[in-house]
Amino acid sequence: MIYHISGLKFRYGDTFLLDIEELAIQRGSSLGLVGPNGCGKSTLLRILAFFMEPDEGVICFDGERVDGTGSAGKRDVTILLQESYLLKRTVFENVAYGLKVRGEKRNVTGLVHGALTMVGLPPGRFAGRSWFELSGGEAQRVALAARLVLNPRVLILDEPTASVDQESAGLIKDAIARARRDHGTSLVIASHDLPWLHEVTDDINRIHEGRMVGHETGTVISGPWIRHSDGLWKKTLTGGETISAVTPPGPDASAILNPSDIMLSTDRPEGISAQNILQGTITQMTVENDSGKVLVTVDVVGISLVARVTGKAARDLHLLPGISIWVLFKASSLTWY
Amino acid sequence: MDYIVAGCIEAFGLLAGGDGETYSAIATTLKASTLSMVASLIIGIPLGFLLGYYSFPGKRQVRTVVDTLLAMPTVVVGLLVYAFISRRGPLGEFGLLFTIPGIALAQTILVVPIVVSLTATAIEGLDRRLRMTLMALGAERIQIAMTSIVEARFAVLIAAVTAYGRAVSEVGISMMVGGNIKWHTRTITTAIALETGKGEFAMGIALGIVLLLLAFLANSLLTILKRQS
Repeated sequence: MIYHISGLKFRYGDTFLLDIEELAIQRGSSLGLVGPNGCGKSTLLRILAFFMEPDEGVICFDGERVDGTGSAGKRDVTILLQESYLLKRTVFENVAYGLKVRGEKRNVTGLVHGALTMVGLPPGRFAGRSWFELSGGEAQRVALAARLVLNPRVLILDEPTASVDQESAGLIKDAIARARRDHGTSLVIASHDLPWLHEVTDDINRIHEGRMVGHETGTVISGPWIRHSDGLWKKTLTGGETISAVTPPGPDASAILNPSDIMLSTDRPEGISAQNILQGTITQMTVENDSGKVLVTVDVVGISLVARVTGKAARDLHLLPGISIWVLFKASSLTWY
Repeated sequence: MDYIVAGCIEAFGLLAGGDGETYSAIATTLKASTLSMVASLIIGIPLGFLLGYYSFPGKRQVRTVVDTLLAMPTVVVGLLVYAFISRRGPLGEFGLLFTIPGIALAQTILVVPIVVSLTATAIEGLDRRLRMTLMALGAERIQIAMTSIVEARFAVLIAAVTAYGRAVSEVGISMMVGGNIKWHTRTITTAIALETGKGEFAMGIALGIVLLLLAFLANSLLTILKRQS
């Protein structure tokens, strides 16, 4: 196990930004983190990178308890920030910086060129360029090469594809996958780009208001919930449709809807017990990295629901982005947290 | 008007002919101002970094004092340094009064606030992501500090050039601490003041041309650096 975290708390003033009971990250694994802006993802990543200390809790890195930000494991971990920053130097000097501060002198040119090649930037064309002669995607890949050249044991990425084009996102995916395969680098990645994240991670944890709320990519459905005469609690979406639930812990409670609990139908189903039958449009389809199943994102007015179906089901139903689809789930499917 | 024209013609003659007295004043000026600039950079860059990089109680007050010192009158600096390095003063034993190192010492006091203030501003203006990036790449504290200064190199060079411009053109310190001694501590500015008072416009104009030339070079460098930064 590369990280084991227990009882981690981080406050900002009187407010808890993070409250994580337990988190274990296996050596060589690839963990994804998702959650809305301000949920604590970046704070957690900075704590994992030893940039910040939690107010409470224990962090063990590679079996050893970490005290403070100056831990021994600091140089084993590196982080690529959401908006990468390049030094006002050439691409070569940017990538070589981490080696230089480590006193590495052997084969620096070879290592830098290798890292640039890994991220799809031919050294002959890019090594001599200045920092201002790069596009946003190229700059992000140079920043990634500066981390990969260090052969880190843990590579943390905070929204690595937020400001890059599709081609750069693909090259970043290939580069980090290769680092993991060739050097056993563990990856921790926060991203809003769910399809991309599914392709590069084994497991995705959802963070909501500073807490880990599950291993699924399920949709978070927040209140308010209003009790109706039929005994069910209902949330009204912006389009006027309602989502029914049973026994929320409070009228403002939030729930997760597991993708495996959602069924899809091309025609409006009749005579079934499920209370929630909503019509929407498929906006995205992604093959899940670890299960090989297909994640289908359906946009119902006001909310995006993610369903997990087998490849065979996707083929049989002729699912494609843009087509209209019916989404079904039980009122009891919602898991409260 | 004729005497001005004649003065200008004679001035070029002095410069072209390698007049010893004229070139002595130029050499004294360059020596004193170069010494003071080097000393002010050695003292001012680390202090400016500390002021710009770290947060500490009273930082704003320190910043206000430094910024106030930017407008310190040269005669006041001259007076203070004179008091300290005159034979009766606490530093009298070093024999600095009426010497080039004495002028350089006072000029250093004059320009250190410029280097501190401009360096602090440059460091404060660095991208907030720089520190995190350097930490992510494994840099230690001293490496982060050095790299931050290198990142702000153009702004720090601007501070150096500005400080040099202030040192080379001041007259109060050179007059009071240097004593305006011919062949010894007479600088361009004190020579201009003296020669003009005597009605000797030629040397005054010749030295004025050199001073303008130095100011032009310094400002040209400044413009190039500002463009690059």
